[in-house]
Amino acid sequence: MRTHCDELEPLIEAIADGSLAPSAEDAGHLASCAGCAARLERARAIESWLQMREVASPPATFTAAVMAHVGREQWRAERAIDLGFNLAMAAGVAVILAGAAGLAWSLGFLSITIDLDALRAALDTEATGRVLSQVQTIAMSAVLLTMALVLWWWAEAASD
Amino acid sequence: MKASSEHELVQRCRQGDETAFRELVDQYKGLVFALIARSIAERARTEELAQDVFLKIHKGLPYFRGESRLSTWIYRIVVNVLAQERRDVATVSLDEKGDDDRPRHEPASEDRSFGDLVMKDRLQKAIARLPVPYQVLVNGHYLKGMRYEDLAEALNMPMGTVKTHLHRAKRQLRHLLETELR
Repeated sequence: MRTHCDELEPLIEAIADGSLAPSAEDAGHLASCAGCAARLERARAIESWLQMREVASPPATFTAAVMAHVGREQWRAERAIDLGFNLAMAAGVAVILAGAAGLAWSLGFLSITIDLDALRAALDTEATGRVLSQVQTIAMSAVLLTMALVLWWWAEAASD
Repeated sequence: MKASSEHELVQRCRQGDETAFRELVDQYKGLVFALIARSIAERARTEELAQDVFLKIHKGLPYFRGESRLSTWIYRIVVNVLAQERRDVATVSLDEKGDDDRPRHEPASEDRSFGDLVMKDRLQKAIARLPVPYQVLVNGHYLKGMRYEDLAEALNMPMGTVKTHLHRAKRQLRHLLETELR
């Protein structure tokens, strides 16, 4: 069976901070029950302490410290992007070189005399033949270079 | 802060305006620092966590959609940082029945003086043991300049229930003082 103390217990804090006025019955109980009166006294003391707590202030250098911290973080992020870009460029160059080598091999440039002769014969002039034989390599290099430049542009935009 | 100027400040920050972010820090550092300082005893750690909050704000601003007030969003970050600091306690739900069923202890007569430093220290310890949302509620409610609705929204509490939660938090404090921290 719930006692008056039990019923009053959840209301103690509201009475202590003044948001609830105790009923006449509750006030009578609080005047006669030492336990409830002590609880209310404790709750009031907590309330008053909470209201009087000092407010800590940040140090004068706080904003500068935050800005420096932000700057360091940005620098780290940019460094990571730069590293990624450099790696991508290196990989791009490696791909271009490998592609050029592969193309040269597939076109038979490794046995250049025979194939150039055949090309010369087919295309009449030596100069045209040389350019045409490298068109694929040049095109692939241009594509890879464009991709690298796009990547660079993206990295710069992201770091901004 | 007016919504328009708040929006403008956020926009300027997003555009990489360092002065705008400095303004933001200057504007909120007092409350952020005070709120954290009331939960964390060590001053150095308080500074670290307060800086961490502003770093998170800086990183998060591009994703801040403005659906809530900037201050609400900032206090939510504070709550998360404090919860991370005390992850174990942070998982306690506010919807739990609480301590209403706990046996009540009669206060001892020697405990009745509350004005001394010992009691302040015990209260500080008791607050530190509250679940993080209650802690933030008790700490933030009594801070001048803290808006009631910001606190409620940051803690995902309907406005109408904030007072109830605050009373529950203070009741938990009282029970802690009457029992474990006697």
